[in-house]
Amino acid sequence: MASNNRKRGPALTVVTDGAKPQEAAEPAAYELDWSICMARAQGGDRDAYRRLLDGIAPYVRALAARRMINRSDVEDAVQDVLLTIHAVRHTYDTARPFGPWLVTIANRRMVDCLRRQGRAMAREVEFDPDDETFSPPQTNMVEEASDGHALRNAIEQLPPGQREAIRMMKLEELSLKEAAAKSGMSIAALKVATHRALKTLRKHIAKRNEL
Amino acid sequence: MITTPDLIDRLVTSAKPVRRLRPPLVRACLWLFLAFAVMVLLAISHGFRSDIVQRLQQPVFVISIAASLATGILAAIASFIVSLPDRSRVWLLLPVPSLLVWVSTISYGCLTDWVSIQPGGIRLGEAARCFATLVLTSVPLSLAMLFMLRYAALLRPTLVATIGSLAVAAFTSAALSLYHDLNATMMVLMWNLGVAVLIVTLGAATGKKTFSWVAPQ
Repeated sequence: MASNNRKRGPALTVVTDGAKPQEAAEPAAYELDWSICMARAQGGDRDAYRRLLDGIAPYVRALAARRMINRSDVEDAVQDVLLTIHAVRHTYDTARPFGPWLVTIANRRMVDCLRRQGRAMAREVEFDPDDETFSPPQTNMVEEASDGHALRNAIEQLPPGQREAIRMMKLEELSLKEAAAKSGMSIAALKVATHRALKTLRKHIAKRNEL
Repeated sequence: MITTPDLIDRLVTSAKPVRRLRPPLVRACLWLFLAFAVMVLLAISHGFRSDIVQRLQQPVFVISIAASLATGILAAIASFIVSLPDRSRVWLLLPVPSLLVWVSTISYGCLTDWVSIQPGGIRLGEAARCFATLVLTSVPLSLAMLFMLRYAALLRPTLVATIGSLAVAAFTSAALSLYHDLNATMMVLMWNLGVAVLIVTLGAATGKKTFSWVAPQ
């Protein structure tokens, strides 16, 4: 049996959710247990299978964390490895050590993940919604697109109470309570003023569109 | 996106008992049994080439056939071994010695005894029969190997497809040499090495996609 001469992976580091990575034992310490769990899982023992998957997930996460920077990529890789193990669990020979079987699958899937990411990065540009929406220049001229200038003029023409209400409630996005405290108006008065202001603005804009 | 603990829950819930794979040598023997069955059936239906007795007295021909069959056997064994995750890729080298002997004997034959294609040497009927042997040998063997190694799609699809195709190509080539009168050197080259290169190239190029088509989900 060549297992004893096999090259072991580097020291295991368990990466837990939201916790600082901590040192853990060599995988060899768990290998026998994992091997027994897999043998039982192949026979349909779900408890053993859960124990196995719960046990190997942190180990695979540690392996992935060494190769990938982005945390979501690490989790994607872990899930990919777990799915592969599920699909090919019948290929594990219980007479052989579990570690090399697991590490080969994990490495294989991580390489595939990195290749997929590399291909995606080569042909895709990350979309930044604050920057640009579509390529025609008209779509990126905010003033014209939202007709902001006309709207600001319409707000300026509102009576002072309504103007103040619309500024605080819609432009500054204050809550009713905050706006009431700031302006000294009652909440009911603010609601009425905002409602009337919106009505007046709708009329202004509708009239402008008709011209 | 599903979280890892949720994924584990789903995998555990969907886990059914699975039948452990038999040792790779046993599985390779099953495939080889099929390969020899195809060869025997073709021999019964088509018959050996007309000059088989004379040919079997030529050492180069015998070594070439033996080397191609050995390449087929060793490549099949290597593909079943390498398809398992924890086995070394060094096993890929298993068919290399016999492959070298096979290619060398064909090359030696070409260099020492070049037989030109005679007028009327290419007959449409014989070419069609050669093509039929090619299809009847390579298609069932490729499909059988594809099915038996489908789990390799998630692990080493291209390597396994390439070495598996070599096994199919070697048996196809042996069948063509045994059952058809390929006397002209160009015909030997085309129907032996040409077909082998074609099958291995197709296997290497399409192996990943084809395996993922039949892969376990």
